[in-house]
Amino acid sequence: MKGFTAALLVWALISPSSGGGGGVGETWPTHVACRDGGLEVLYQSCDPLQDFGFSVEQCYKQLKPNLSIRFGIILREDINKLFLDVSLLTQGSSILNLSYPVCEEDFPRFSFCGRKKGEQIYYAGPLNNPRFDIPEGKYQVLLELYNENRSTVACANATVICS
Amino acid sequence: MMPPSRLAGTLIPAMAFLSCLRPESWEPCVEVVPNSTYQCVDLNLYKIPDNIPSSTKNLDLSFNPLKRLGSHSFSNFTELKVLDLSRCEIHMIEDDAYQGLNHLSTLVLTGNPIQSLASGAFSGLSSLQRLVVVEINLASLENFPIGHLKTLKELNVAHNLIHSFKLPKYFSNLPILEHLDLSKNRIQNIYHKDLKVLHEMPLLNLSLDLSLNPIDFIQPGAFKEIKLHALTLRSNFNSTNVMKICIQGLAGLEVHRLVLGEFKNERKVEDFEKSSLEGLCNLIIKEFRLAFLDTSQDNIIDLFNCLANVSAISLVSLNFDRLEGIPKNFRWESLELVNCQLKKFPTLEHISLKRFIFTANKGGDTFAELHLPNLEILDLSRNGLSFKGCCSYADLKTAKLKHLDLSFNGIISMSSNFLGLEQLEYLDFRHSTLKQSSDFPVFLSLNNLIYLDISYTHTRVVFHGIFDGLFNLQILKMAGNSFQDNFLPNIFTKLTNLTFLDLSECLLEQVSQGAFDSLPRLQILNMSHNNLLSLDIRPYKHLYSLQVLDCSFNRIVASNVQEPQHLPRSLALLNLTENNIACACEHQSFLQWVKDQRQLLVEVEQMVCLTPLDMKDMPVLAFRNATCHMSKTIISVSVLSVLVVSVVVALVYKFYFHLMLLAGCKKYGRGESIYDAFVIYSSQDEDWVRNELVKNLEEGVPPFHLCLHYRDFIPGVAIAANIIQEGFHKSRKVIVVVSQHFIQSRWCIFEYEIAQTWQFLSSRSGIIFIVLQKVEKSLLRQQVELYRLLSRNTYLEWEDNVLWRPIFWRRLRKALLDGKARSPEGKVDSENSQYEATTST
Repeated sequence: MKGFTAALLVWALISPSSGGGGGVGETWPTHVACRDGGLEVLYQSCDPLQDFGFSVEQCYKQLKPNLSIRFGIILREDINKLFLDVSLLTQGSSILNLSYPVCEEDFPRFSFCGRKKGEQIYYAGPLNNPRFDIPEGKYQVLLELYNENRSTVACANATVICS
Repeated sequence: MMPPSRLAGTLIPAMAFLSCLRPESWEPCVEVVPNSTYQCVDLNLYKIPDNIPSSTKNLDLSFNPLKRLGSHSFSNFTELKVLDLSRCEIHMIEDDAYQGLNHLSTLVLTGNPIQSLASGAFSGLSSLQRLVVVEINLASLENFPIGHLKTLKELNVAHNLIHSFKLPKYFSNLPILEHLDLSKNRIQNIYHKDLKVLHEMPLLNLSLDLSLNPIDFIQPGAFKEIKLHALTLRSNFNSTNVMKICIQGLAGLEVHRLVLGEFKNERKVEDFEKSSLEGLCNLIIKEFRLAFLDTSQDNIIDLFNCLANVSAISLVSLNFDRLEGIPKNFRWESLELVNCQLKKFPTLEHISLKRFIFTANKGGDTFAELHLPNLEILDLSRNGLSFKGCCSYADLKTAKLKHLDLSFNGIISMSSNFLGLEQLEYLDFRHSTLKQSSDFPVFLSLNNLIYLDISYTHTRVVFHGIFDGLFNLQILKMAGNSFQDNFLPNIFTKLTNLTFLDLSECLLEQVSQGAFDSLPRLQILNMSHNNLLSLDIRPYKHLYSLQVLDCSFNRIVASNVQEPQHLPRSLALLNLTENNIACACEHQSFLQWVKDQRQLLVEVEQMVCLTPLDMKDMPVLAFRNATCHMSKTIISVSVLSVLVVSVVVALVYKFYFHLMLLAGCKKYGRGESIYDAFVIYSSQDEDWVRNELVKNLEEGVPPFHLCLHYRDFIPGVAIAANIIQEGFHKSRKVIVVVSQHFIQSRWCIFEYEIAQTWQFLSSRSGIIFIVLQKVEKSLLRQQVELYRLLSRNTYLEWEDNVLWRPIFWRRLRKALLDGKARSPEGKVDSENSQYEATTST
């Protein structure tokens, strides 16, 4: 699992620089963020400029608190401020919309806050999530990270399949 | 026709030429500001583009595979101030690569795997202030060729491979260096000799960031007598013990701001002990900040033993339960507690404290009294606190308060109108629930208030004097509230200094005509996300300074902007997007106005029509006036034609007989007869015959010639001979005027009987009955024949009635015209036509 994740991350990080500029008009491939007991999380980058790497460790139907995730990307924008918008959809209708400040300018919470365009960031750490049982079904999750100028830093269309 | 070989001969070189064209020659950079700012991000450029003006000041070439920078690469761009070369795969920078860039102030080289950096790589950059060389595989500062950059203020060498903290000698040549970012490198040890250059040449304004270096050891005395502006050490130490030793190693440092702690995702110190900070007693610090340390203790008061003389303390994301018993003699002026898991509101009694920030502490839910007489700034936002009484001197015990932030809390009951807090300039209640805020003039005593935010406070404005007293208010945000009857009344009458007003999401349906009349300085007005049905310009006409008016996300169908003089002249932006614009011809003038005011309207291209159905989701700009002209013409033409037709019909009806004569459709002639009709009537009815019958028939159109006994009978001849000679012989028709007197008159009966006989003999159907008055049946029966005829034939009945008369005359005329003189010989017919010719002329 770890080897696979590492390979995926390396690939995702290298691909934008080598495939440079080819993103416009194309769709990025769908990646598997995790596939464990009864839960499958797939994602696809919706940022026309680049793909990114993301994985979740130990994802079960009964979601553990503070899930461990890995996330790697090359920044296309400065992130003095960083916000995350999450919207959860099922069968096309929106269930939940969340907006969460990740980085605040006057006091950077994470070590990647304040990083500049062109830098590579890699986050391996816990997600601040509560224990949560995912009901069976198929969900669409739209995730968008954007900075102080409302420029997209990363964007993903994720599919969560719980069986 | 070109032979195939020749075609191929022309095509192949052309193709070859095209394929040799480099993409940059045709893939344009984005012109952000003409002749000044260009973005060429990710365009697969292999060399610096040459189609960019030499006056360019900002050039972004990031994410292009430039690979190497030769000398004088940018000699065309002598005016450049900012040059971004992030992720350009540059591995080699030759001597004089930036030569000629004498105005360049910022150079970004982030993310380039530089292997070969010539010693003169940065030569010529005589104005460079900011150099960002993050992630360039830099192993040491020693040989980094920047010693001549005397104007350098910021050097960012974060995320590299630097092992040594030794600040090279050339730093003494960088006298105005303010920021040195060495974070995320590999520095493990800091020795006294590393800072030698700072001992010799102090950089008093230097802010040094050493975060994310795995520091093990700081030689004691290394920082002795060093003065810095800021020193940041976050996520540097592996254990509390290393932390303790390193902080002791900082002894003798004088620093304005010291930041210690960790990052949320880079936790290393697991067993933090308060003793770790003991070394701080040997430092001179103005501001101290501690963040994200796993303190896990009840009361962290011991932490502050060495911080009594610090003026500003900031504690972020530390988990401790209480903050009590801080000695009163501490000279703190500012205390910041952010996201600390305090279970109880801290008790503070510090005379010196001027600024107290207590935010995002979700522990306690009740507000305790403060005893901070000199407090000027109080921020209690994002705590979920409830306030039973707000706000007056009695609640806050501070008379100097200028800034009060109670946003994102629980229920706040407005019990008094800020008595004793008259100095307040900034007041923020947003996303807290305000109670009784619209019952009395809550803000009456806040004459100095400049900023007021009551957005999303569940306030329902009923009382019109809610904002009384706010004479100096400049910014008012009250989004997400509501008004009685969803009507905006004149509540802003006293706010003459207001420059910004946010009324979005207030469910407004209508706005009072005078709502904004007293706001001559208002510059920005947000009316978006309401339920306005039309854009009524009149309320805004007195906003002489208005620059931005946002009416997006309403239900505006159209507007009354036909009177453009009502729009404030200063208006620069008007947002009407996301409305229910009706692209119908009835709003044609509004739609034309939209087109004319393109410059004024925000995202006018994105404005779409909602109705009518055939225009749904079409851009408003696509509406064509021609369609309206078309339908207007169609409507006017059809109305006109209907009018014309009806007039013609009326005329034809009225002048039916004239037309008949003119067109000659209906030929009539008397033939051998002199008269058109012989009138049989009782002399009792002579009045009617003279005044009505003769007048109408002889003077009307066509003129008939009647045979009347009083006029046409030849004197001296027997009545019976006259009747036959003049009456029947010379007349085409016989008109019988039936009345009471007619039945009783013997002569009349005689005439009638002759007429009958005559009709029988000449086989003409020429008798026209006019029943002048209803005749009693018994009387009528006396004349069996007449009775029979009347009951079998149609007759005309005279009714003295305006409505019926024209019909009567029409019928009579028709009857007289009908059955024109028919003669057995064709000769008579020709005579007839001759006669007609003469009459019609």
